[in-house]
Amino acid sequence: MRVLRLTWRQRSARIALAVLAVVAVLAVAGGAFAPDDPLAQHPADMLQGPSAAHLLGTDYLGRDVLSRLIAGTGLSIAGALEAVAAAMLLGVIPGVASVWLGRTVEWTTQRAADTLMIMPFTVFAIAVVGALGNGMHQAMLALGVLFAPLYFRVTRAAALGLKQAQYVEAAELMGASRWWILRTHVWGKILPTIAVTTAQTVGQALLVVSSLTFLGLGVQPPAPTWGGMLASDLGYLAQQPWAPLIPGAAIMITVGALNLLADAIRDSGAPTADELGKPPRAEGTAPALVTEDREPLNSPETQGRSANRATPSEDPELPSEDHANAAATVARTHIEQPEEAEHRVTTG
Amino acid sequence: MPKFRSPSTSEPSRRSPFEGADADSPRHDSLPALKALDRRSFLGLSLGAGATLALTACGGQSTSAAKSDGGTLKWGWALPTSWDPVTSSAGWDVHALSLVYAALTKLDPKGVAVPALAKSWKYNDDGTVVTFTLRSGETFSDGSPIDATAVKKSLERGRDYEKSLVAAQLIGVEKVTALDEHTIELRLAAPDFQIPALLAGKTGMIVNPKVLEKDAASLSTKPAGAGPYTLVSYVENSKAVLRRNPAYWDAGQIKTENFELHPLPEPSTVVAALQSGQYNVAQIPGSQVKAAKAAGLEVQVIPSMVVAVLDVHIGKKPFTDPDVALALKYAIDREELLKTAAFGYGEVTRQPFPSGYAGHDDALDKLFPYDPEKAKELLAKAGYADGLKITLSAQKAEGVPELIQAQLKKVGITATLEAIPSDQATQIVYIQRSKALYVDQFAGRDSATQAFQVLFGEEGLMNPGRTTSSELEKALDVVRRTPLDAPEYPEVLQKATGIAVRTMPNVFLYTVPRILARNPKVSEIPAYTVVQRFEGVTVS
Repeated sequence: MRVLRLTWRQRSARIALAVLAVVAVLAVAGGAFAPDDPLAQHPADMLQGPSAAHLLGTDYLGRDVLSRLIAGTGLSIAGALEAVAAAMLLGVIPGVASVWLGRTVEWTTQRAADTLMIMPFTVFAIAVVGALGNGMHQAMLALGVLFAPLYFRVTRAAALGLKQAQYVEAAELMGASRWWILRTHVWGKILPTIAVTTAQTVGQALLVVSSLTFLGLGVQPPAPTWGGMLASDLGYLAQQPWAPLIPGAAIMITVGALNLLADAIRDSGAPTADELGKPPRAEGTAPALVTEDREPLNSPETQGRSANRATPSEDPELPSEDHANAAATVARTHIEQPEEAEHRVTTG
Repeated sequence: MPKFRSPSTSEPSRRSPFEGADADSPRHDSLPALKALDRRSFLGLSLGAGATLALTACGGQSTSAAKSDGGTLKWGWALPTSWDPVTSSAGWDVHALSLVYAALTKLDPKGVAVPALAKSWKYNDDGTVVTFTLRSGETFSDGSPIDATAVKKSLERGRDYEKSLVAAQLIGVEKVTALDEHTIELRLAAPDFQIPALLAGKTGMIVNPKVLEKDAASLSTKPAGAGPYTLVSYVENSKAVLRRNPAYWDAGQIKTENFELHPLPEPSTVVAALQSGQYNVAQIPGSQVKAAKAAGLEVQVIPSMVVAVLDVHIGKKPFTDPDVALALKYAIDREELLKTAAFGYGEVTRQPFPSGYAGHDDALDKLFPYDPEKAKELLAKAGYADGLKITLSAQKAEGVPELIQAQLKKVGITATLEAIPSDQATQIVYIQRSKALYVDQFAGRDSATQAFQVLFGEEGLMNPGRTTSSELEKALDVVRRTPLDAPEYPEVLQKATGIAVRTMPNVFLYTVPRILARNPKVSEIPAYTVVQRFEGVTVS
C-alpha cells in the first residue's frame, strides 16, 4: 500500500515502530526478560532506591520495580488492544453500513453513536463492571463500546464521500454488487483512515486503561500494570518521590510512539503539495464532511460537489481527496478527543 | 456521585421576616454551600447524575451567644453513612455523630463512662434497674427542652424502630419510664452494668422527639440533636459544615466556632491538602507520617480501639471446617503486616481489645504464633494437603490483602483478591454475608459487651457466620452482671475475651492507632481512645 510505503519513509515513523516493536516484544515475552519474579515480596527491602539487585528499586511490598514494569507491559497493552479491537468491530462495520444500508440503518446507527458519545468513560466502565463483574475483559469491553463512535464517525465520513464518487456510481450502474464495491473501491480507501484512528486510539486506550486500573477497575492486584503501579507509587511519595516517573515514562513513551506513528500515517495519507495545487479540492469538500449528516445526500449541492471531485478520485490507487478529508476529520476529532477523555476520567 | 442537600430547604417558609435582617445570617449561611461547588462537583453536575442543588442553606441558629475564639477546624476524617444515629450502619459514624448529638453519657479519654446529658446515674443492687438524672435546663439546638420524656422517646425509638440498627444493643432494656422531668428509669430484663457505657455511643444519642414525630426520615441528612455543633450544610460524599451550638451542655469547652467534616483524604494527597489548608486536622496512614513531619505538621499517634481483622464466614466453604479456619490464625505473619503495611504504627494482636483496656489479656497474645508448618498440618488434616483455593475480599486489594495473599501462598492456600466497592461493603459483607474471607478493621465499641455482640453475637454485624458459642454467652452474662468498678471486672471480661479468641474464627491482626496530622495552628487534639472529641481544641 502506498500509504504504508510513504509512512515507512518517514524517520519519525521508523523510530515509533522501533519503540513499539520493543514494547510488543516485552508484551509478548515480558516474563522471560524480567530479572526477578514480579510478584515476589521482600517486605524487608521495601521502598528501596535503585541498586545492583533492583535496578529501578523496589515498591511498597519490596517487589522489583523493573520486573513489574516489564511483566506489566503485557496486561497494559493487551487491555488497550482489546478495547480498540472491540471499538473497531463496533464502529467500522456500522460506519460502513450506515452509508450503504439505507436510511433506517443510517438513522439508527447515528443516534446510537450519539448516545454513546455522551456517556462518560469512567462512569460507564464502572457501571458495566458493576453489572458484569470486575474483570479486565468487562472493563475493556466497556471502553471499546465507548470508543466505537469515534470509529463509526471516521469510517462513515470516509465512506460517505466514496459513495457518490463517479466510479462507484458507475460500478453500481454496471450491476456490481454492494459487496464487490465495498471490497474493490471502498475498503482500500478507508483503511488508512482507520489506521490513523487506531494508532491514536490505542494511545488513548492505554491511558484510560491505566486510569481504570488506577481506580481499581479491571486488573486486580497483585498483577502488575503500568497504571496500577503509578497509582500505588503515589501513596509513597515521601519515601520515593521519583517512583511514579518510572511507570509514567513507560506509558508516555508508548503513547508518544503511537502518536508519532499516527502523525506519520496521516501525513502519508494527506495529499502532497503537488496535488494540493489542483483547485477544486481546497474549497468546500472538508466542510461537506462535517455537515454531511444534516444534508440530504442527493441535494444538488452535494451532487455538484461530487461532480467537482470526480477528476482526482478517478484512479482508485491514488490518494484521493476523500482521504485528505477523512484525515482532516480524524485530525479534528483527535484534537477534541484527548481533552474529552481526560475530562471523562477526572469526573469519575 | 455528589448530591447536594441542604438541611433546611424544606422550611424556608418558616423563617420569620426578622431573620433576614438578623446579622448576616442568610449570606453567611449560603457561603459554605457555594464553596462546596468546587470543580469536581460541577463536573459531577455535568455528568447529569441527577444531582440536586440547593443554595438556600440556612442553619437558622443565632450565633450571638458564642463565647468561642472563632476559627474553623477542618477535619479530614469520614462522613457518616447517615446522620440518624439509629439507622447509621457503620461503627465509625460515632465520631461524626458525636459532633452533632449529645448522649446520656460520654466516654473519657480512657473509655470510662462519665456524665454528659445525664449528670449522674445509679443502679439498684441487682443491676436490673438504672436511674439517670438529667441536667436541668438543657435544650436541643432548636430550643425544645431535653427532658425525661424526650429521652424516653429517643431510647424507645432505638429499641423499637423496625429499621433500627442499634436495637440489638437495647434488647435487654425492658421498660423506659420517665419518673419526673429530670429522672428516667431503665428496667432491664437481666442485670447489665454496661448500660452507661453503652449509652455513650450511637445507642444513647438523644434525638429531638419533635423531629421524630414530624419527619423522622429527614434525620439521615438533617441531624436533630443537642451536640457540640449543629449541621449548617451537608454535601454527601463531599463535606459537612457545622457551627458551634451554644446550647450544648458543655459549650464552654467548645472553642472553635466552625467545624468542617470531610471524607477520608487520599493518602497520596493528604499532606499537600493539610499544607494548603484544605484540612487542618486529618487522619493519615503510617506511610505519610514522615512526609507530614517533613512538611512541618504536628503528628499525633493516639491509641485507639481499632483493630485490623480478617472476618471469616464459617458458613461458607472451606471455612466450614474448623481446622481450615484455625489454620488461618497460624498462617498469617502479623509482624510483617504491621511493619510493611502500617509502617510499624500499632501493635500485633490476637484479640479484639488493645493493651491497656480492661478486656485485654497479655497471655492471649501468645496464642497462634506465626507457624506455617502448623497451618499446613491443619490444612492437611482437613483434607487440603494439596492446596486450597479461596477468594480474599477487601475494599482495597492493595497492601495488606496482597501481603496476606503471599503469606497464604506459603502454606498452600491460593487466594484470589477481590475488591469490593467501599460504599457497598457493609451491605455485601455483613448484611448479605456473601463473602467468605474479608479484610477489615473493627472500630471498637463504647461498651465491652457491645463489642462482643458486634463481633461474635448471634446477630453480630461483623460476625458473618452468625454463629456463637454458648460458653461465650455464659461468660458474657457474668460480665454484664459485674459492675464496671468491681475489682473482679477485668478478670471476668478477660475470661470472655479468652473464650472468644479461642472459639471464634475472627483473625485479629494488629491495632490501628489514630494518626492525626494537624497544622501547628491547631492546638493538641485530646487523646480519646474510643470516640474522638474536640473539647478544648483551639484554632489560632
